[in-house]
Amino acid sequence: MSKKMYVLIGNYGSGKTELALNFAIGAAARGERTELLDLDMVNTYFRLTEPGRLMRMKDIRVVSPNFTNSSVETLSLPAEVQSAFAMDWDTVVFDVGGDAVGSTALGRYHQDFEALDPADLQVLNVVNIRRPLSGTVEKIIRLQEEMEVHSRLKITGMINNTNLAQVTSPEELRDGYEMIRQVSEKTGVPVLYTSGKKAMLDLFLAEGHDPQYIGTPFPIDTYMARDWESWVRSL
Amino acid sequence: MSLTLMKGSEAVAEAAIRAGARFFFGYPITPQTEIPEYMSARLPEVGGCFLQAESEVAAINMVYGAAATGERVITSSSSPGVSLKQEGISYMAGARLPAVILNVMRGGPGLGSIQASQGDYFQATKGGGNGDYHLITYAPASIQEAIDIMMFAYDKAEKYRVPCLLLADGIMCQMMEPVEMPEMVDFKVEPEKKPWAVTGWKPGDDPKLRAVINSLFITTEELSVHNDVLQATYREIEKNERMWECYKTDDADYIITAFGTVARIAKSAADMLRSEGLKVGVFRPITVWPFPYDELREATKGCKAILDVEANEGQMKEDVLLAVAGTKEVQYFGHCGSQMPTTDEIAKKIHEMKEGR
Repeated sequence: MSKKMYVLIGNYGSGKTELALNFAIGAAARGERTELLDLDMVNTYFRLTEPGRLMRMKDIRVVSPNFTNSSVETLSLPAEVQSAFAMDWDTVVFDVGGDAVGSTALGRYHQDFEALDPADLQVLNVVNIRRPLSGTVEKIIRLQEEMEVHSRLKITGMINNTNLAQVTSPEELRDGYEMIRQVSEKTGVPVLYTSGKKAMLDLFLAEGHDPQYIGTPFPIDTYMARDWESWVRSL
Repeated sequence: MSLTLMKGSEAVAEAAIRAGARFFFGYPITPQTEIPEYMSARLPEVGGCFLQAESEVAAINMVYGAAATGERVITSSSSPGVSLKQEGISYMAGARLPAVILNVMRGGPGLGSIQASQGDYFQATKGGGNGDYHLITYAPASIQEAIDIMMFAYDKAEKYRVPCLLLADGIMCQMMEPVEMPEMVDFKVEPEKKPWAVTGWKPGDDPKLRAVINSLFITTEELSVHNDVLQATYREIEKNERMWECYKTDDADYIITAFGTVARIAKSAADMLRSEGLKVGVFRPITVWPFPYDELREATKGCKAILDVEANEGQMKEDVLLAVAGTKEVQYFGHCGSQMPTTDEIAKKIHEMKEGR
């Protein structure tokens, strides 16, 4: 079995970490030898820290620039990142920092990525059009181009991960579908996945849109949840 | 209603711009660096000015200068950076300059940690810099509330000629929530409405109309008169500007007092305890200065005991004690190592109180 490598890049807050966890946990559940790499050099705050504990329990190897398993993450790339290329994994998932700035960290591994069989590498742009900086076709395309330059990688597909956190409705995925479809038509970058909570995803899929712009439906669980989920508008 | 998913730091930055802020001076510090980052990209688009100062001390003095012209100015920092700004904030209070200051609290004292905390409550509400002054201090508990407060914070600051402080914590600025962003306010400095502002004076103009921004009053008489004006202003603010939220307090046997992010966790704990049959409510001050003493006393009249929950060593508990003036038992639960109290921990503590421990 060849090594499958998923590199998740995208706008700040588009849902990369949540998707990376879902890709990795899904692979591990299928019995695949899985490694998850936290390459987020930009945001040291809400990252894999808590789910990191979860990961170890599920037999996933996690590589994170985390100082003695505390919340302090050192802003450096751990040498263990090289294990993604050197070792014999079934599935490798890279969770990369937001925007072009975050994707810069990938440039360091340009030669390693070049050496891979292109068929085994998916560089996925996670798109949530409800985020202000990816709210138009033009903004998504501009960000996509910038991320390609900074990461020295070609984006092979998009993930429609449009959501409004706990108040998501199928309308989010539908609006995301329409906009990402236009991006795909203009850039030729295919839509490879549409992701969301299963119930939401099923409602969206039942609407009968063009499968070409849906890709593989990817139901997700949320692992980055907080213990207070109320959205209050109290004024 | 059109919702977008925004990170707290982006949302408060955008809200400040929509409220008319065109000047940001600051210095990066985790966990709020996304605010200056956002401002650096966004302010030039609206004809504003972003400037990364050489230090927090420089930044707050730039705020002082720009606020003196009557413009809407903002700075943001996190705890250690806000400590550095205290001298300038005291000068602004003395010079009666309106502005909005954001403190995205992290662990302390000193460099502390980069994780969220509420350890600057005393600094925010009881002083910070030197002299007899207060800032109107808002402690929002959601990103939407932070936006909504930002939209009127400049109006309040200008009405009373005081700096306003938004007291948030690291979680608030780092988390994302769906929000509705208000329309852009059409703000222009109107010199006739701000006679105190430095808006241009030329030789030949009436010297009496010349605005001088100053916090120095050499004679004791002058300083007394000046401070009397400040104190009268603070009494007005205390009278008019208290904000609070009562969550299921009407029939509550136990009332949790908490502010900001912790109050949201407390609400979840109250709901959890209510599902177990315990009547628990939450009293949340939205302005921590002026503190809603009377409202807290009124809300807790019928309860058996109060539990003050904070992500610090219980700083707000002093105000809770002042409010109830010895008529209620007040206990504290919290952490001061930048850990957030959890719903389970709060529930356990309420159960202990019920059992008389």
